[in-house]
Amino acid sequence: MKSFSNGAKNGRARYLLGSVKKQPVVLILIVISVAFSICFPDRFLTYLNISSIVSQFVTIMLFALGPSIVAAMGSMDLTYIGIWMLGGIVLWRLTPTLGPAAILVIPVLGVVTGWLVGVIQVKAKIPSFILTLSLLVAYSGLTSLLSGGYPRIVRGYEFITAPLIPYVPTELVWTVPLIGAAVFIMRSTKVGTYLYAIGSNEEGAQLAGIDVQRYKILAFTISGLFTGLGSVIQFQHLGGSVPLALNLNTMVSPLVAIVLGGTLLTGGSGGPDRTILGALTYVVLYRGLYISFLSPEVLQLLTGLLLVVSVVIASRELRSVIVT
Amino acid sequence: MTVSIPEWLRKNTGIVIAVVAAIAVIGIFQAINPFFLSHQGRITLVYAMSYFLIAACGLTFVIMMGSFDFSVVSLLKLAALLCALYIDSIGLWVIPVAVLVCAGCGFINGLLFVKFKVPSFLATLGISVVVDGISLYLSRGFLHVITNRAFRSLSVTFFAGLPSVFYWAVGIWIICTFVALCTPFGRRIYAIGGNPTAAALCGINVAKHRLCVFTISGFLAGLAGVLYMAQFGGGSIEIGADMIIPLFASVVAGGTALTGGIGGPHRTVIGVILITWIQAGMSTLAIGRDIQLLTLALIAIGMSIVTTDRTMVSIIK
Repeated sequence: MKSFSNGAKNGRARYLLGSVKKQPVVLILIVISVAFSICFPDRFLTYLNISSIVSQFVTIMLFALGPSIVAAMGSMDLTYIGIWMLGGIVLWRLTPTLGPAAILVIPVLGVVTGWLVGVIQVKAKIPSFILTLSLLVAYSGLTSLLSGGYPRIVRGYEFITAPLIPYVPTELVWTVPLIGAAVFIMRSTKVGTYLYAIGSNEEGAQLAGIDVQRYKILAFTISGLFTGLGSVIQFQHLGGSVPLALNLNTMVSPLVAIVLGGTLLTGGSGGPDRTILGALTYVVLYRGLYISFLSPEVLQLLTGLLLVVSVVIASRELRSVIVT
Repeated sequence: MTVSIPEWLRKNTGIVIAVVAAIAVIGIFQAINPFFLSHQGRITLVYAMSYFLIAACGLTFVIMMGSFDFSVVSLLKLAALLCALYIDSIGLWVIPVAVLVCAGCGFINGLLFVKFKVPSFLATLGISVVVDGISLYLSRGFLHVITNRAFRSLSVTFFAGLPSVFYWAVGIWIICTFVALCTPFGRRIYAIGGNPTAAALCGINVAKHRLCVFTISGFLAGLAGVLYMAQFGGGSIEIGADMIIPLFASVVAGGTALTGGIGGPHRTVIGVILITWIQAGMSTLAIGRDIQLLTLALIAIGMSIVTTDRTMVSIIK
């Protein structure tokens, strides 16, 4: 009996060790959480800081969900901020005529954008990151065009973030099922398996009989759907208004979360489940540094460095892959 | 060998569209606003085009090699701010320092790409965020003005009715074109862009050439930044905001395909003329920056579609 439980313990320990090896970010997360708690005991473990961590985690997670699906397929989707910005302004335009039903316009916009990106990417064969980047800039132009040059506040959607459960932010309550759906699609459905197959070897997937073009378009559409649904929450979460100026640096945080989680951007591995850990680690690190004595400029510098370093670490197994 | 006109047109769709569009754009804006090509209008256009062309040449090398360099704008900004910040303490030595710092950043880009196998757009995106952080840290977000006359004369001395920055740009453009078309180095870059595996099998040291090209891109971005600062005489962290899309648009509008191996600096000049004149023309018509960016982004997407030869490529991520 004793040896059995020892064996089980050994097995569990090995399993834990294996998963840590697979996801070294867990270690980083634990180390930085402990380090910050020791360094700033009176500031890190406060209610204010933890709720900031949760709220920032929600922001990053909602932006990163769709792109991490696309990244697992080996492409790139940078339109998330564009969908959020344009969606917010279209919502402002439509609310007076359509009433609260106008909120549906954001998911619709997301799906249409994703589908459009997919079709252009697949048919015209343009690298997805540059296509989505151009589209992002086009959307930001359209946003300031439609807004008439002023940031607009849309009222009437406070119900989205109205408190449901005491002490738990409602945004988080809505985000969890979204994450669950994304993880379910990628881990337990045929679509997810096919997308991983396309990500690890597109030619092989084609030869294996997968309709690569169709599934690529589908992946971008799903990504757009998740970004659109996320933007509904995001919109209220970030104050019921959207900025008009596009800051390309805000685009980077979700990417850091994706890469830090261990999704190789060349595709075939990772996915939304990994992004959860990446986002959490990034946010804890960011908040920890934020409450320390560093100036905001240094924070931005460190964010960039973090992206570079995590990409380098994530790419360590790619010795034989051709990258462009 | 004779080539029939329709075939020639089909093979050179990108360049034909760019030239026709450039002439059309100039004609339309001239018709709407007769001051567009007046002496003052020409000088404004030359000012807007020159530093832009230098930066675009660097980006062209990277794109025709099949990669992408996101950090051009950030490096331009860094070089410009370095000049403004340190010209009083180290004098004109600031010029080589700024350019070399940018070349060094380009080298790091190349190193990340070549040694660590990081996809180039992601590596350069990361570096550009780091560089922006450095710029912000050094400049503290303030506006910095240069009063040093010797430094300013780098760009604003007039020869034969045109500012010196124009001659810098033309000189660098000629050198870049020469390097791309007439040297073994340039031809090897085309080969790498066309097919890196085949190029490696032909005995080309792909890694070394990629490293070189990213360094050149950083170097030219730094040079563009120095000339930018000499031309404008001041600037803050806002330098070059949302310039990446016009830059990218001008490279693809010239006919350099994103898949690599096609195009080159000699074509980029047409794209730069097209894009800067569209921007300038829209500005003279009081069309806002939002619509300009929207137009440029659509041009960028459209021209990428036109220039890509879809019979040649199988997999695009």
